[in-house]
Amino acid sequence: MRSVRPAEIAVVDLALCDRCGLCLPLCPPEAIHLALADLVVDDDSCTGCRKCVAPCPVGALSMVPNRAAA
Amino acid sequence: MPDIDVLVVGAGPAGSVAAAEARRAGPDLRVVLVERDRAVGAPVRCAEGVGDAGLREFADPTGAPWVARKITKVIFWAPDGTEVKVAERDVGWILDRTRFDAFLAAGAVAEGAEAWVGTEVTGMRRDGEWWMVDTRGARGPETLRARVVIGADGVETMVGRWAGLDTRVPARDMESCAQYVVQGIDFDPDAIYLQFGDQVAPGGYAWVFPKGVGVANVGLGIVALKADGRSARRYLDDWIAARYPHGAKTGYTVGGVIVHTTVRETCADGALIAGDAAHMVNPLSGGGIVNAMKAGRLAGRTAAEAIREKNTSAARLSAYHTAWMKLLGDDHLKYYRIKQALEDLDDSFFNGLARTVNAIPTPKRTLGRIFAHALVRHPQLIPVAARFFL
Repeated sequence: MRSVRPAEIAVVDLALCDRCGLCLPLCPPEAIHLALADLVVDDDSCTGCRKCVAPCPVGALSMVPNRAAA
Repeated sequence: MPDIDVLVVGAGPAGSVAAAEARRAGPDLRVVLVERDRAVGAPVRCAEGVGDAGLREFADPTGAPWVARKITKVIFWAPDGTEVKVAERDVGWILDRTRFDAFLAAGAVAEGAEAWVGTEVTGMRRDGEWWMVDTRGARGPETLRARVVIGADGVETMVGRWAGLDTRVPARDMESCAQYVVQGIDFDPDAIYLQFGDQVAPGGYAWVFPKGVGVANVGLGIVALKADGRSARRYLDDWIAARYPHGAKTGYTVGGVIVHTTVRETCADGALIAGDAAHMVNPLSGGGIVNAMKAGRLAGRTAAEAIREKNTSAARLSAYHTAWMKLLGDDHLKYYRIKQALEDLDDSFFNGLARTVNAIPTPKRTLGRIFAHALVRHPQLIPVAARFFL
């Protein structure tokens, strides 16, 4: 369990996502994975580092407030 | 429970060659090649260019149905638009990757491997000397038992992760790429075009790779850290709007190209990774098809030999890593250093370099002569050249 949760975490817009998988090796805690061909960001592992956001070729990743941070 | 000797995950060039080679080296082995997508070779995530000599190690392109175009010229566009023609012959080929990948997968089946399309691996765990591999596909959920798993599952490799290999990459070494198939445009169909420049493709380059007369793969790769906030797709839309405003965009793809060096460890107990999954792309050119096939060949052979010797430990399989590093991996360390040195040079340098090269008569423009002239006229290149020998 993580004691401090980030204020923001990454989220994928599956309507934009092309399932190219580019963001997977960019994620330091390996919080992004492909499950049944869809991209999934694991809220509990995401550290909010944003490293996946700008490289997405179609801008499908963005940051949203983390409801678990309080 | 169906037992498998070699399970190859991903039917791209690395996976299909690995499956074929595993059967060639172990004709009594059960080799299964699984592909997540419902068709081998689709969707295409590739500019489809390949060098002549490397391709011929695996297949004869002459008259092959999986070739789109033969390439005999390379044309560079400097950031200011200065055009530089490099005279060469038999430069390479533009493939039809959908057909080419199917051709390679058929080659694996011809050697006796099984190919299962529409089958996704959803997880795997170690059980003694075996990998228990969960799959999902046309046959429903199924758990397979495999002695060796070869992960040829691309930049997004999950096999590498499940096997405990570190396949992460720093953002500065990730090229974000976008590409359209553009029809009805004017260019030399015997040439590939490469454009450099911070406005067009920061940290990468833009390309026009002909697929026929008037139709080409038009794409670019950028390093997001050097970009101005636009996505790769936006950069490409802007470039095409400026260069080919009347072209018809009839196809679209995106993807990541890892321009780094080979991952430190490509082997675990009963597992190997090959191709894009193991960061085996040439970090200078971004080319990876032939590299993937060469790695697949080594991986398939090593897996078969290890099974015959009844030793599929990481230590035994690491013969694959050693062979790869000797074949190409060590060269990639040099190319990577050159890439880093080139990153320090700006657009005005490349504009000047283009003029220097254009002062050499076209028939005499060999790469060696270009390099010699460039070194004399542009002392900024000396540290770049020096890095090659470090």
